[in-house]
Parts: sequence; structure tokens; C-alpha cells
Amino acid sequence: MNGKVGIGFRRDFADEFLSGNIIQPAFVELAPENWMNIGGYWKKQLNKLAERYAITCHGLSLSIGSPDELDFNFLKDIKDFLKEYNVKIYSEHLSYSKCNNAHLYDLLPIPFRDDAIKHIVDRIKTVQDFIERRIAIENVSYYTPVAAEMDEATFIRTIVEEADCDLLLDVNNVFVNAHNHTYNAEAFIENMPLNKVAYIHMAGHKKVSDDLIIDTHGEAIIDPVYDLFESTLAQMNPVPVLLERDFNIPQPIELQEEIVQLQKICDKQWTKDHAIKI
Amino acid sequence: MLLKSETYRHQEALAQYCRDGISVNIPGTKAERLPTYRRLVFNVVKDTIESAFPITYEHLKDDHWDEIIYRFFSNHNCQTPQIWKLPYEFMQFYLNTETVRLATHPYLDDLLLFEWLEIELYMMEDISYPNYKLKGDWVKDIIAINPEYRLIKLEYPVHISPPSRLIDQKGVYFLLMFREKESGRIQFNNLSALFAFIIETLSEHPKPMEEIYADIIHLFGVNDIQLLHNKVTDFLNHYLDKGFILGFRKH
Ligand SMILES: [Fe+2]
Repeated sequence: MNGKVGIGFRRDFADEFLSGNIIQPAFVELAPENWMNIGGYWKKQLNKLAERYAITCHGLSLSIGSPDELDFNFLKDIKDFLKEYNVKIYSEHLSYSKCNNAHLYDLLPIPFRDDAIKHIVDRIKTVQDFIERRIAIENVSYYTPVAAEMDEATFIRTIVEEADCDLLLDVNNVFVNAHNHTYNAEAFIENMPLNKVAYIHMAGHKKVSDDLIIDTHGEAIIDPVYDLFESTLAQMNPVPVLLERDFNIPQPIELQEEIVQLQKICDKQWTKDHAIKI
Repeated sequence: MLLKSETYRHQEALAQYCRDGISVNIPGTKAERLPTYRRLVFNVVKDTIESAFPITYEHLKDDHWDEIIYRFFSNHNCQTPQIWKLPYEFMQFYLNTETVRLATHPYLDDLLLFEWLEIELYMMEDISYPNYKLKGDWVKDIIAINPEYRLIKLEYPVHISPPSRLIDQKGVYFLLMFREKESGRIQFNNLSALFAFIIETLSEHPKPMEEIYADIIHLFGVNDIQLLHNKVTDFLNHYLDKGFILGFRKH
């Protein structure tokens, strides 16, 4: 899968994945929470999907940044699911979605602080030990810092290095955050531990006002994000790249065009010069 | 815990604000951005519940709906990490919270249960089928049924009538819902008390129909045995065609 482009699997266009031939990803990504402990129609579709494509998993409910205890029953289900579908990459968000024993089903920003780093590093290690595999942690988009005592890049880099986990670098999220919090996206990427990146996300977003972009996954990728993607690839070794599209789903051909565009950039940056970059 | 209580309090304050929307002061935040989080979080939950209960939503959206959703998300600690199971928690919250229950809409308990069970049946893990054969005797052999089903007793015919007409139709109704093996589709069937009894018996205490007949005659006070036999045989054949009755148990 390294250097290849996949796409997020959604029920909205499941038929196209399973019987059509317009969308041709190298692999597909799904949220294990939406597919584990199920049967019936969608279990059959999932099994067909797994026959046709390699699967990566991008979790929603681990809540690695939560003050709450880890949920080991949930982690056991995740572990079983990853094994059942021979999943090569399991990633999660560097955020929290559960607090005071209540799930919130969305990604809240963690305070960029030393104690939060220690807490999260400890939890990532526990998770990796329990599921007996590495986990890739994703930089999320956020709309406000919360009681930050350091910058975002330091926060992410320290966690990834100290926990010895992988990084899922979401290039669109870097772009969104750089805009919303007025920093330089290229400089941010240079500050990331690029040797730890195991996976890349690319997506579209929505500019709702001059000073606010929302990470909607509901639009096509824009050119400046492609540019940031290309300059990032130039600094690192090949990894799988994923196109995220969750809302406002266009015709299959438009998604395939985005896959092709991403693949072209991967090929340009990663195949002509296959020397180790880092 | 490695997390300091101050950091924890900030995280808690943001989470609580996302749940109830009551404004908070969290240091080091852009106050004008907090409503974005409230909106994003709340909409995910609201959309999930609305698409799980489309009939209930359509019926209540002009009056009570937003208030119930608000009370649910601000008061209830959502437990499932799998959001598609959250509608079950919503139903339980409604059934068990006196202060949100609508005395004017007594049929909502049945309606919510009906809408949730469709999701549950559609999504639930496969249950292994019993060993069965297609040929057998309706009276002497034990009939095998599709285990992926729910049989519920209702006070209001939520599976037959639109919500606006339910209030005058209080009674006793039985609804059989089952998942078709190949397609995974859910079938809905209104049943008489007699046929509901037969299905429940076949599921809970499997025995040949000749023994169930004895129970029926006793319980339902049936006189015309031949008529009963004819009706039951029609019923069994009909549900064999539909895929709910599989055939006959293999010993
Ligand atoms: Fe992402």
C-alpha cells in the first residue's frame, strides 16, 4: 500500500465499490465502530469488500486524550476486528470524544500541556500493548486552543516520539489549522516527526468565513492543499495515502479523478527517486 | 493520574458545554469558536437520533422533539462507543425519564420500540440457524424457525397506522419482525394472539404442533379442531413461503 492511494468506504456508495469499476482505490479505510459487532446485509457487504480490497481502520471512539479510563471491552472488540479483517493500519485521533463517562461522538481539542502529553503517552503505550500492534495517531483540526502551554507541533511531536507510535499526518488538517490559527503550514510540517509518518490523509474543507475553515470532508481537495501535500511527500518516504470524503458525495467519477490526481503526485515524488529520504 | 486536575477541569468544561450549550469560560480558548463545537457535537447526535426514528421525528418535530433531544444529550451519559447503537439509549432514556415522557402521546413507547427494533434486527450479529430439513410433518415434527426475529406485544398499532391516528386505537397487537436470510431485509407482520402464541412456543419450548394444539385448545377455548388445524396449516405454509419458518428440526 505504500505510495498508493485509497479512499474512505461509505455506505452511501457501497455498491459502486463492490460492483462498479469507476472508483479504483488501492485500499479502503473504514471506521471499525461502524462495522464491528454487526451481521446481516452490511456484514455480507463488508466481507465482499474485504475480498476485493485491503482494509485500513480509522477509529472514532478510542478517545485517547480523554481524562476517562480506557475502555478495554471496546479495545478487545477493536483488536478482534483488526485481526478478522487482516487490517494493516489502525489509526485514531489525537483528541478526546468521551468525558465524565459520556461519549460525545466528535473530536474535542486537548489542552497542549505537559501533563496531557504524559497522560496520553501512557495511554498510547497501554493501547499498543493491549492490541499488540502500533497505532497511528492523527493530527486533528481544531477551532480553538484550550488552555495551551505550548504550540501544537511540539505537542504532537513529543507524544509521537515518547509513545513510540506512528503518526497519521492529515495534510488538510494542517492546512485548516494553519489558516484558523495563523501559522505557517510548511513550517509546521517540517516540525513533524516525518520519519514516524505511517499514513497520510487528504480531504476537502469548507471556508465558512475569512478566519474560519471547517474540516467538513464534504468538498473536493483544493489546490493549496495539493501543493502542501506535494511538498510534504518530497520530505518523506512512501506511505499509504487516503482520500477522505464523508459528506456531499459527488459522482464516482469525480472521486476517481481525485484519486488519480493524488496518485500522480505520489508517483512524481516517490517513484522517480526511491532513495531513502530520512 | 498523570493528568493534572486543572487540565482535567478544562476538558470537562468543554465537554459539558458541548452537551448542554450553557456558556462557560474556559481559559485560553477563543470564546467565539466554542459554539462551533457545540453545534458540531450536538448535530451528530441529533442527526443520528432523527434518522433512527424517522416516524417519531416527523410526528414530533414541530412540538416536542428538540426539547427531548436536548434533555437526552445534556442529561444522559452516552455509553456506547458505536454511535449506531445510540438510538437504543435514546429509547431507554425516553421510557425511563418521567419528566420527558409525553402523557399526551401514550403510543410513543411502542413507536420508539418499533423503530429501534428494525435497526437492531437489521444490524445485529448473525445468529446461527438450527439444523433443519425441508420435508416433514406439520403436526408430528418440530417446526424450525428463523432465529433472527423479534415478536412484540403492542398497545398501539404503530406498524399499521400513522401516529396521528393511534390515540383511538388502543388494544392488543402482536408484531413479528424478522430478517430475511439472503437479503438481510426486515419483514413486518401483524399477527393474531393465536399465531403469536404458536411462534413464541416454537421458539421458547420447541415441541411438535400436536402438543401445541393441546395448549391452544386449553388456553383459547377452541371447539372446532378441524378449523383450527386448517388455519394453522395455512399460517405455517404462508410463513414457510416468507422465509420465517425454515422447515423441520433435524434430530
Ligand atoms: Fe483525517
